Amino acid sequence: MSVDVILVIVVVTALAFDFTNGFHDTANVVATSISTRAIGPRRAVAIASVLNFAGAFISLKVADTVGQGFVDTHVITTTVVFAGLVGAITWNLMTWYLGLPSSSSHALIGGLVGAVIAAEGWSAVSGQGLVTKLIVPAIVAPLVAFAAAWLSVLLVYRIVRRVRPGGVSRGFKLGQVVSGGLLALSHGTNDAQKTMGVITLALVASGKLSAANFHVPVWVVIAAATAISLGTFTGGWRIIKTMGTKIISMDAAQGFVAQTAGAAVILAASHSGYPLSTTHVISGGITGAGAAKRLSAVRWGVAREIVVAWILTLPSAALVGAAIYVIANLFGHGDAGPIVLSAVLGIGVLAVFLSARRGRGQLSARGGATALEATQP
Amino acid sequence: MSLFVSSYAAAIVRVVWSSILASVTVSVVFSVAIVGLIRAGELRRASRGGTAVAYTVFATCALLVCAAAVVYGLILVGEKN
Repeated sequence: MSVDVILVIVVVTALAFDFTNGFHDTANVVATSISTRAIGPRRAVAIASVLNFAGAFISLKVADTVGQGFVDTHVITTTVVFAGLVGAITWNLMTWYLGLPSSSSHALIGGLVGAVIAAEGWSAVSGQGLVTKLIVPAIVAPLVAFAAAWLSVLLVYRIVRRVRPGGVSRGFKLGQVVSGGLLALSHGTNDAQKTMGVITLALVASGKLSAANFHVPVWVVIAAATAISLGTFTGGWRIIKTMGTKIISMDAAQGFVAQTAGAAVILAASHSGYPLSTTHVISGGITGAGAAKRLSAVRWGVAREIVVAWILTLPSAALVGAAIYVIANLFGHGDAGPIVLSAVLGIGVLAVFLSARRGRGQLSARGGATALEATQP
Repeated sequence: MSLFVSSYAAAIVRVVWSSILASVTVSVVFSVAIVGLIRAGELRRASRGGTAVAYTVFATCALLVCAAAVVYGLILVGEKN
């Protein structure tokens, strides 16, 4: 009975994380299309939502590998998974509130690593796994996307400089619809599966599934796909605003190139079995597209804030994950800890959303709403 | 260990050159398609039908190359995991 209660809490928390993942990372795939007005905000978010849902069904192999390579998966219990998820949700909400694009995947891994350290000590964490699968990709991915977008924009501007700007803009806006769609599909195949993997991991840890016959149940696939799709549909407008207007003011050609460079890097990396964060890639692509026009076109202060958020993601989520594990165990090894903490988390999430809504209202009342905010539903 | 490092570095190098090449190729070819279509329209309005058709064919070929890249991307999405 006790295990069942904790399991239900873990599943609900995992789906809550999936939801935050959806609205946190919506910006990755729609911000450039919205800011260049290639597509309306409602339609962009709706298309991204549908493609995220579809992408979640394409393959399940990522779901099998969650946690592998970073921590000793044998030491994972339902309470560890719960604590890791709370760490990831907390970081996602904080960065969303501040409008900073950070990696949901890094937050999830950070939360799990922190909870595992609190439960079993440092020996249960693979330093090599963290360096090769997390830290190096986090440095390389945005730099490659930056270089790809920078070079592409330079060449594109040369090619189109002698033709009518209106026609060029219309052409690139059409191209953005396709490149944005490819990004959304790619995002769905990656991120929804991480939640599926976490829920399946919890089912194995609670003895509901055999570790020898590790497979993702159909209801888990449907629930995770629905949660990320709903989160995407809700739309994280704060991060969309940062990605779409605060880093650079982009034209349609830059938007198309940033998305194309992002899709190219993600697909090339996935094809080589090299894990990376879609957030890092798209941010690098947008910055590279802006820098190609002129270096001063990039608001480097905003870019610096984003990089700081990336650096802090893993340790912050890990700290919260570890703290939650420790606090949950103060209530004993039963279900009291997760029940109390999930109630506190629910109240905290509600408070953050209410505060965010109030802040947006005040901003609009002062006449400070940007064009992007004015177009949001 | 050294085998792991070399295969890991090789994967990174492969990602770097292939993603830059793919990004530049698709962006350039799509730009060429846009320029071709705009030029074709201008030439049609200037009653230079023959050259306009040539530009249209050229632009269509460029768009087909982009479409092939998207299809290849979809195939990679399907099999990547």
